[in-house]
Amino acid sequence: MLSRKSEIIAPRPWRATALANVPLVIAMLAMIPLGQLLEGSWGQENLDAYFTRLPILVGINIILAVSLQLINGYSGQFSLGHAGFMAVGAYMAAYPAIEYSQQFSNPGACVIFFVALGICVAIGATPPMILFILLRKTKQFHRSLPAALLIATVIWIVADIASAASAPKTPVWTIWTRFLAALENLYGWIVLHAGPIAGHLLAWLPDLLRKPACFVILLIGAGLCASAVGFIVGLPALRLRGDYLAIATLGFGEIIRIAITNDSTLGGALGLSGIPRYTDFTWLYICVIITVAVIWRVAYSPKGRAIMAVREDEIAASSIGINTTSYKVTAFTIGAFFAGLAGALYAMHESSITPSSFGIIKSIEPVVMVTLGGLGSISGAILAAIILTLLPEVLRSISPDERMVIYSLLLVVMMILRPQGLLGGRELWFGKWSRTRKPRTPAREAVPA
Amino acid sequence: MQQFIQQLINGLSVGSIYALIAVGYTMVYGVLQLINFAHGDVFMVGAMVSMYAATGRVTAYLPPWLHILVIVCFAVAFLVNKLLGRTFKQTFHKLASLLAVYFISIPALLASSFLSQHLHLGNWSMAVFVLIFTIAVCGAMGFLIERLAYRPLRERPRINSLITAIGISLLLEYGGQNSGVFGPTPQPYPQGDEGQPQLIPHLSGALWNHNGIVIQKVDVLVLALTVLIMLALSFIVLKTRVGLGLRAVSYRFDTAALMGVNINSIIGFTFVLGSCLAAVAGILWGVKYHSGEPLMGLMPGIKAFIAAVFGGIGNIAGAVVGGVVLGLIEIMVIGYLPGGSQYKDAAAFVILIAILLVKPSGLLGKNAVEKV
Repeated sequence: MLSRKSEIIAPRPWRATALANVPLVIAMLAMIPLGQLLEGSWGQENLDAYFTRLPILVGINIILAVSLQLINGYSGQFSLGHAGFMAVGAYMAAYPAIEYSQQFSNPGACVIFFVALGICVAIGATPPMILFILLRKTKQFHRSLPAALLIATVIWIVADIASAASAPKTPVWTIWTRFLAALENLYGWIVLHAGPIAGHLLAWLPDLLRKPACFVILLIGAGLCASAVGFIVGLPALRLRGDYLAIATLGFGEIIRIAITNDSTLGGALGLSGIPRYTDFTWLYICVIITVAVIWRVAYSPKGRAIMAVREDEIAASSIGINTTSYKVTAFTIGAFFAGLAGALYAMHESSITPSSFGIIKSIEPVVMVTLGGLGSISGAILAAIILTLLPEVLRSISPDERMVIYSLLLVVMMILRPQGLLGGRELWFGKWSRTRKPRTPAREAVPA
Repeated sequence: MQQFIQQLINGLSVGSIYALIAVGYTMVYGVLQLINFAHGDVFMVGAMVSMYAATGRVTAYLPPWLHILVIVCFAVAFLVNKLLGRTFKQTFHKLASLLAVYFISIPALLASSFLSQHLHLGNWSMAVFVLIFTIAVCGAMGFLIERLAYRPLRERPRINSLITAIGISLLLEYGGQNSGVFGPTPQPYPQGDEGQPQLIPHLSGALWNHNGIVIQKVDVLVLALTVLIMLALSFIVLKTRVGLGLRAVSYRFDTAALMGVNINSIIGFTFVLGSCLAAVAGILWGVKYHSGEPLMGLMPGIKAFIAAVFGGIGNIAGAVVGGVVLGLIEIMVIGYLPGGSQYKDAAAFVILIAILLVKPSGLLGKNAVEKV
């Protein structure tokens, strides 16, 4: 964690914590019979798969919107790159699910995949990182030296990889290509040798638990991958403000998508298919509840107050000792985690994914949901996610040709008539019985100048 | 070396189209601090409308439901203003520009439909007509977008305007895909193959073909027209009264209003000017690439925006420089990197992020010192 342990708060007694979680656990358990019931009734009525898909899409959009609410609504950082994180999550769940999980029967191999990936990325990121730090140090010689050297380094790396790709035999001096090849070997070695060991270690797992275990490992691993990407993206990008940040995140999202499109291991433009399907109503809505609970707890924790303080006034917040960068990156990383989770759930429901389904439109959708629901309102985001997912489908039955026209017109009209969003920074459940008092709604504009 | 010069020419040609679009982005950002996401789609409308005008497919009449809708909207507006206690004259004054657009559009459509069917493709008269018609349509569209979608939200947080801009962009894209408008499939632009007439006469073929370097006539036209337009633009911005107002508004919004600058008309003018440039870019794109579809505005729009950011958003000269540089880099990536054509979109975004991290205010932008 980036933040220092500086908040002086009395720890809550464990009983209170446990009690506070009881409704959540009950709600999650309630999803099991509900899911059975819904799927049972769908099966009986023999409706087509379209109607079973709708609640799934709604749930995935809720996760996306609520996680983006933490970034856009609470920390006030306008992010347009959510689809990129979703794509990372989807691919990082889909790839091991196809390659290593053996139809969800081998959770150990999935763990090893993520561990190997982590090790390789850590080793691979170290030399560029050291180089980057050294380049920054050259600032003391001349002001524009770091930028010039950075450009030279980038040209060096690009030329290295390009020459290796065009030459029949790798030239001796292409150290970056060699480095990449060595990393790939290391990754292969770890997966080859540690995979069976992990499989043996987890041999005691009963068959009943293997599928869920595999699924949960993939979800968490995909989420962690996405949050790592979110951290890497957020660290430089969050120096920017307002529109610049929005455009930079948009750019990062697109770069992720284009990188996936051009990667042959991840299926290229055709995407991955044959992913084992496991996401169903129950699992998805358990994840939805977890997401909402975590974002809610984060937003109204002392850290969340600091995040909101950064949104209200960054300079004032930093003047009272809040490390603004740290809190912004924290919010970004947590948001990216859940975006990755949503991507993983999506991948394991659709059973085939293509990079084109994570384009700019997919990034814009959750932003629209968050803004329409009201910035800084979790229930608003949920409401808007439900409405905006179902609206095009309802319109499809009314007028299939003009549905997206009507949808976009409604968007414009809604924004003009109710610019603060449906709930406008409030929550549905702020009432007498609520333990949480209504916070002050942001009066200032959410995107600072 | 030959290849390099060839790429240079191609890059300049693509880059100047980006520059034309980027100027619209940067001017709107300069006065409103708003990323006008719909601008790329105005460019698309320019390309499609010019294609329709050139092939004689301009409808003479607006659909009747549109007339009914417009009249109902005006009636409601007058009623609401009556309830708010405004006199008829005051309301009329407020809505005068919209009424003018509506009432001019009817005879203008009739006339242009007649012209588009009776002028012959391949004549200069047709080219001039298409140019004027497309510019008029896009200008009116830019004006209406500002008046109806952005002006009501001007006092609101900017994220609202941004969402509205996205909404307008989606509206134009999906509306254009409607079979009653342009239809979802790509359509061919009139091109001069095998004696077929084309929009601008004598444009097919190369102007210069020596030593393996081919300079297409289209590229020369694109470059020349862009330079001409940029000269005209710099005249408007630097020498005219409206340009003075534009600079004043982009320097400081509220102070300009206090100094007696009519903010609304200046902002409206900015949108119209930007949309006109996008219209020209649309025609040039169609002439250069010979096809158009309702989603064609997405990528050029984003790249033009990147160009605007690259040059320093809010700075017109910066947008031109950014557009040309972006076009050059893109073409060089296609030409010199293995598998480069797949990475050309990524190259634009990498440039964007690099410039944002190294110098967020852009190449020619000034560093704004933030005061508490």
